[in-house]
Amino acid sequence: MKLNTEKNSNEMTVKLSGELNTLTAPELSALLDKELGGVQKLTLDFAECDYVSSAGLRVLLATFKQLKASGGSMILSNVGENFMDVLSNTGLDAVFDMQ
Amino acid sequence: MADEKVLRIPAKLEGMDEVLDFVSSLVDAHGCTPQARSQLRMAMEELYVNIAHYAYPDGEGWAEIRGSVEDGVVTFTLIDGGTPFDPLAKPDPDILLSGEERRIGGLGIYMVKSMVDEVEYTYLDGCNRLTLKKQL
Repeated sequence: MKLNTEKNSNEMTVKLSGELNTLTAPELSALLDKELGGVQKLTLDFAECDYVSSAGLRVLLATFKQLKASGGSMILSNVGENFMDVLSNTGLDAVFDMQ
Repeated sequence: MADEKVLRIPAKLEGMDEVLDFVSSLVDAHGCTPQARSQLRMAMEELYVNIAHYAYPDGEGWAEIRGSVEDGVVTFTLIDGGTPFDPLAKPDPDILLSGEERRIGGLGIYMVKSMVDEVEYTYLDGCNRLTLKKQL
């Protein structure tokens, strides 16, 4: 999986490319562990990632909780059809902010 | 009986891509929609990863994946010789909880159930067998 990060003061965008699955979710987790400090608004861009398994959802939910606890926010952008299916099947479409 | 394809590999996480390639190549040969392919790959990822993580707590073991397509319905069976365990027996998570109340994890098997038409567990001849079916 390819992860492209852009940081601008307390805002960060991560563009994901490839599949967010059991083998690749730790890469996203490690990047966020390293870069999330001080970030108030995180945008995850899924334009080039339309496969997110439960291992990926775990990272997203943990990150969402972490940001919420510090008054920040997480936005999922360019969510594709398959990923949207997963979000609605798990009720997470009502939890995460999307644009 | 439709032609059955079989993949037998060591039950290790590193084998996941091989399992998913096996899934894609079988269903693509039968004109699968991109959505059904993605759902099947995801369901098989969840089930295979469960085997790789938990089936053999004391050492190494094997996993076998059988797949066939008949009358537009694909059937995959995952078999392992590890600890008897029915992953389907776990209660479904509450998907109506807010983000703060949500437990991190526990969604994998629930996702499998929602993405295939049928999924069934049996323990037979010392092996765990999970069979799933889905219309392509």
